[in-house]
Amino acid sequence: MPEGAGPEPGEPGASAAGDGRPVAEVPFRGGGFAPAPRRGVGPLLFAGLILLWEAGARLGWIGPLVLPAPSEVAGAFVRLVESGQLWLHLAASLQRLLLGWTAGTLLGLLFGLAAGLFSLGRAGIVPLVAAIFPIPKIALLPLFIVWFGIGEESKVATILFGTFFPTVIAVYGGVDNVDRGLIRMGQSFGLPWLSIVRKIVLPGALPAILSGFRISAAIAIILLVAAEMIGAEYGVGAYILLAGNLMATDQLVAGVAILSAMGLTVSWLLGRAERHFLKWRL
Amino acid sequence: MDLSLRAVTHRYGDLEVLRGIDLTIRAGEVVCVIGPSGCGKSTLLRLLGGLERPSEGRVLQVGEPPPGSLNPLTYVFQDFALLPWRTAAGNVALALEDRPCSRAERREIVAEVLARTKLSEFADVLPRQLSGGMRQRVAIARALAVRPACLLLDEPLSALDSQTRELLLDDLLELWLRERFTACYVTHNLSEAVRLGHRIVVLSRRPGRIREIVEIDMPLEARKDGLAELQEQQRRLWELLREEAAAADRELADA
Repeated sequence: MPEGAGPEPGEPGASAAGDGRPVAEVPFRGGGFAPAPRRGVGPLLFAGLILLWEAGARLGWIGPLVLPAPSEVAGAFVRLVESGQLWLHLAASLQRLLLGWTAGTLLGLLFGLAAGLFSLGRAGIVPLVAAIFPIPKIALLPLFIVWFGIGEESKVATILFGTFFPTVIAVYGGVDNVDRGLIRMGQSFGLPWLSIVRKIVLPGALPAILSGFRISAAIAIILLVAAEMIGAEYGVGAYILLAGNLMATDQLVAGVAILSAMGLTVSWLLGRAERHFLKWRL
Repeated sequence: MDLSLRAVTHRYGDLEVLRGIDLTIRAGEVVCVIGPSGCGKSTLLRLLGGLERPSEGRVLQVGEPPPGSLNPLTYVFQDFALLPWRTAAGNVALALEDRPCSRAERREIVAEVLARTKLSEFADVLPRQLSGGMRQRVAIARALAVRPACLLLDEPLSALDSQTRELLLDDLLELWLRERFTACYVTHNLSEAVRLGHRIVVLSRRPGRIREIVEIDMPLEARKDGLAELQEQQRRLWELLREEAAAADRELADA
């Protein structure tokens, strides 16, 4: 039962007031609807699930071909580390991720601002985004290969395109939601246009922009793997693909766990960024 | 510097909000504007400061703003309009950052206006940590920092509770006695108007026209809360407003 949700019935049998009228405590009806942070629940849940999984594998409930035991996955991971291949895969993946995400985000910021600030920009960009955002960028990967070649460029371009559109939407939505009163205040004090954008519009839109980053970072990781599955020597995606082809499920799951860890790291970094840049909101 | 409205009419689309307004705010006087809700009081103020362009008529500055005035027409807003991500000092500094003054000068001005509004110890505090009254003091400090020729106050005390309002009203009075600034003070609170206004402009309901301009001769320093003469003035203003307010109350917002 969620904390504080249960009404506590008054005690009907409570003593009567001096003049004989019944006295009961007013039943409590408030509380709830305010999830509080609970430290340690997340890691504990993770550990519990992994333990359950390990136990299932050891007891033979889960066949080794269906899903390898966590201990086997760990073994595959250790072998990956010892062979020195991990760093090669990680470096290749992180480089693509960083390049693609940064470029996509910068362009997205630029176009999102244009859509948020100028009538013409909005009229042009918004329908364009609506038309292209829903296209799975993986479907365009063959085209990117034709345009940019089989090397790094097409992979980076896929991530760039994938992160560009959600960033545009987050930025112009954030700009739209900036308090008009603050902008009018800036104008009334004779602030130049650029100062209003830099000191009022951008910080005001920052909460929305940062939550946009969460989405675009997740999309970037998804696209990274997809892009690396087509003609990459190194990269977490390539590693997973190879493991899949060899039916080495322990390696496959180890690769997936690396992706998951990447996602967690990004989320943690963004959390730090939010806490630093949005201190004023707490 | 005087501020003058000449035959100003203003419309939002088909909706006429102000009609034929002629009004001059003379240097050194506080003009209060009162009227029923939706009569165009705030629009009038936005026109005065150039945040909006009148549909007809002209808004004029008569004479030069005093030398050293960085932002001659300066607003104080009802909702304070403070940047939540800047400290009190940062909010005041915002108004100075794009002006030709050095970092040291800016710091000096910020410290000085914060001291004048009794905020020195709150310089590094974020707006959310301040009470409503303190927030409005920060906004007033910010307005003073740019040495305005005319302050345009848009219901500056309306978002505050009545005790805080009383305190801030005293502060504003004290400030005027010291600085003798020019001000246009829009309010719906009649007691604020009779406490602070040299002249009180009564607007009719929409489209707002000037119904009457009431002059109060009593010097500001003599005005105390609950003075019989002021209460008499306040009663008279209410007589003027009552019917208009009742009629305005029954109007549809976007009819």
